[in-house]
Amino acid sequence: MTEIENKKRSLSGIQKTIIILWLSFVMAGIATGVFFSAIDPDALSACVTFPEVSRMGAYTIGFLLFWLLTAASSFITKYFLNS
Amino acid sequence: MSKVDRQLDDDVAKSLYAKHQKIYPREVHGKFARLRVLAVVVLLGLFYGLPWLQWDGRQAVLFDLPARKFYIFGITLWPQDFIFLAFLLIMAALALFFFTTLAGRLWCGYACPQTVWTEVFLWIEHAIEGDRQQQMKLDKSPMSANKFRIKLTKHAAWILFAAFTGFTFVAYFTPLRDLAHRLFTFDLSAWEAFWIFFYGFATYGNAGWMREQVCLHMCPYARFQSAMFDKDTLIVAYDEKRGEPRGPRKRNLDYEAEGLGACINCTMCVQVCPTGIDIRDGLQYECIGCSACIDVCDDVMDKMGYEKGLIKYTTQNTVEGNPTKVLRPRIVIYALILLTFASAFIYTLAVRVPLQLDVMRDRNTLFRETNEGQIENVYTLKLVNMDENDHEFNLSAEGIEGLEMKLEQEKILVKGGKVLDLPVRLRADEADLKERSSTVYFQLNAVDDEKLNVKEEARFIGPRK
Repeated sequence: MTEIENKKRSLSGIQKTIIILWLSFVMAGIATGVFFSAIDPDALSACVTFPEVSRMGAYTIGFLLFWLLTAASSFITKYFLNS
Repeated sequence: MSKVDRQLDDDVAKSLYAKHQKIYPREVHGKFARLRVLAVVVLLGLFYGLPWLQWDGRQAVLFDLPARKFYIFGITLWPQDFIFLAFLLIMAALALFFFTTLAGRLWCGYACPQTVWTEVFLWIEHAIEGDRQQQMKLDKSPMSANKFRIKLTKHAAWILFAAFTGFTFVAYFTPLRDLAHRLFTFDLSAWEAFWIFFYGFATYGNAGWMREQVCLHMCPYARFQSAMFDKDTLIVAYDEKRGEPRGPRKRNLDYEAEGLGACINCTMCVQVCPTGIDIRDGLQYECIGCSACIDVCDDVMDKMGYEKGLIKYTTQNTVEGNPTKVLRPRIVIYALILLTFASAFIYTLAVRVPLQLDVMRDRNTLFRETNEGQIENVYTLKLVNMDENDHEFNLSAEGIEGLEMKLEQEKILVKGGKVLDLPVRLRADEADLKERSSTVYFQLNAVDDEKLNVKEEARFIGPRK
């Protein structure tokens, strides 16, 4: 009974998409935490010319960019593994 | 097998092998159900209650992202204290390993936010749509004004609850009272509105629609938790030896004489299962260890006048007739590592000095010679007062004989939670410099608190020897 019965389910496209989005969400959250503990967005915006954003905005944009990055990486991996 | 039972079995089979079908978990009452309700009340109580708590005139628990400070009751943490967060995460992971090895999927069954919020969404659904049978009947019936009204009420209630959840989530990052005020005056910033919507939507989607799908397909923990299992781990299991062969029978029948097992095949255990599995098929990765089937089966056994525990918390070893060992290397090792990290965490937090001194050398000139023939180095000191109170400080420098320190201000005063940039010049006679680059130390002491002190190393550069 230790062999945990592992039924092979075929996942639908939507399910796969959601799995990728969710796991990349988690990784993006961790990345955002680490990145912004080390770097103050206010100090960052002093170095680059960027439209005025509050720190809250910078965190949000940073998080969404990280998410975009992690999700893109996973989607591309999935694409190459499938083809 | 009655027609209804066959229908139910068919439903289960379809939900396992065909495209996803909605699972209607039957409501359970019993020992473990009460335990879960308790967990829901305590955990969600903490989640929704904490932001309302005040401490010293501010919110007791506030992760003030705009100001880059975390307030946790009496402690204020700065980005520099990231190590504590890392410690906490490591401890959480280790605790998860420890409890999984010891007692299986306790986390999944009682504490996971997915479980906890789904439970509340199920209560709401039950209150509005009625019990399992009524819900299934409603979903099968064609759309009518009444059905539309019921569905609308349910989703409105779900969305309201989810929105409140999103609001509470954001209140951990921006003060709740202020946030509530701005919510009702329609003055939320775009970012706050976005996060309330985002978290609320995730709650509504995960707890209302996705439910067990999250555990089956999305959860990384569900995939690797079996690696922590051994034969002494607590699992929810059906006693096959006692239960089989299963079958319906009359209440007072001497079933053993008829060659039957204790399982009456009422399929109650399948009906209550939130992930829609049949526990009688053995241990499955879909089983989140919620023990709803234990409660309901005990109930049935009681009604039949049989002994309870046909489905129960047990271990692989017990099932196989071997003794179960609680203390085993795995458990001891996890416990020791966990204990080490916890002590290190508490120690570091206890000796943490809420004061930081950063020394930056002037980048433009290495050194200069003064009119009096002394060698001078210029530094900018960054004093970070991480305490909530204002403090006056004494600064001194040492490391070279006859080292002089020049300050532009007489008093060094740093307000609570503020940073002060302080230009400092150090002077020494060339004769006293033994090497081109000497080590000097800046010592910073608070006037009113001797525990508040830091020592920081810096370089003093002179001419080539």
